[in-house]
Amino acid sequence: MIENFILMNGYGLYVWLSFAITFLACGIIYYKTYKTLKKYEKDFIKEFDQLPESEKKLVLSKSKVASQVLATYNKSI
Amino acid sequence: MFALLLSPPDYLQGDSVRIMYVHVPSAWIGLASFTSIALLSILSFIFKIKNLNLITKSIAPIGLMFTCLAIVTGSLWGKPTWGTWWAWDARITSMMVLSIFYILFILSHKLIEQEDKANKVSNIIAIIGLINIPVIKYSVDWWNTLHQPASIKLDGTSTIHSSMLLPLMLMLLVLLLYCALILLMKYKTEIIRIKKKNIKRI
Repeated sequence: MIENFILMNGYGLYVWLSFAITFLACGIIYYKTYKTLKKYEKDFIKEFDQLPESEKKLVLSKSKVASQVLATYNKSI
Repeated sequence: MFALLLSPPDYLQGDSVRIMYVHVPSAWIGLASFTSIALLSILSFIFKIKNLNLITKSIAPIGLMFTCLAIVTGSLWGKPTWGTWWAWDARITSMMVLSIFYILFILSHKLIEQEDKANKVSNIIAIIGLINIPVIKYSVDWWNTLHQPASIKLDGTSTIHSSMLLPLMLMLLVLLLYCALILLMKYKTEIIRIKKKNIKRI
């Protein structure tokens, strides 16, 4: 039963390889996208930290994205 | 599980038909992604909305990945079915052309430094590439090809049994959810990149 499932009447190599390549590619793209997002968030925070206190407050009050990035970054560290 | 265990083998192709559950949704997503990129590019040209360019830029890598997956899994399906990994068949060649359009679109964003110019060039590439979409769709009807004609039609004359259609639709749903996740992550990355560039002007 299990042997039949793995061999798939001689087509196992093609079927399993197709599924493996698909899920591997999806995994790699997810990992790369996630890493890039975190890198950009980190760079944004670095840039933000260099601003004087008054400008920081201004940026946070004017930009929703800035406050969201700051909130998620603080949560993740 | 549905695709690998519960769905029946084909009476002619046997278990190799299971490759369909990754090949067909990949091809559909590749085609749909490029169509949406091209349509958004047209809208971007008309209405000059910058967000549309961010969206097209975020969709392109997902579309390229699924187009390549459709070609690779198609090749893996071709070997046991046709006896060859590759043939310069109309459907396969037009899919190859689609992947070239995706690469050109992505490269235009990577190589052109001026953002406005990069957006213009990539929009033109996407609009020209739109011509290839009906060619891919109807290639199996217009030419004698190794590739089989469509089994699933929107007009209700599908020739696929429900025991195969259900896992196929489930797989499509899962991959679409994955696409939505990647799209949102890429779009967020683009927004942060722009905000970072203009942080002192916010």
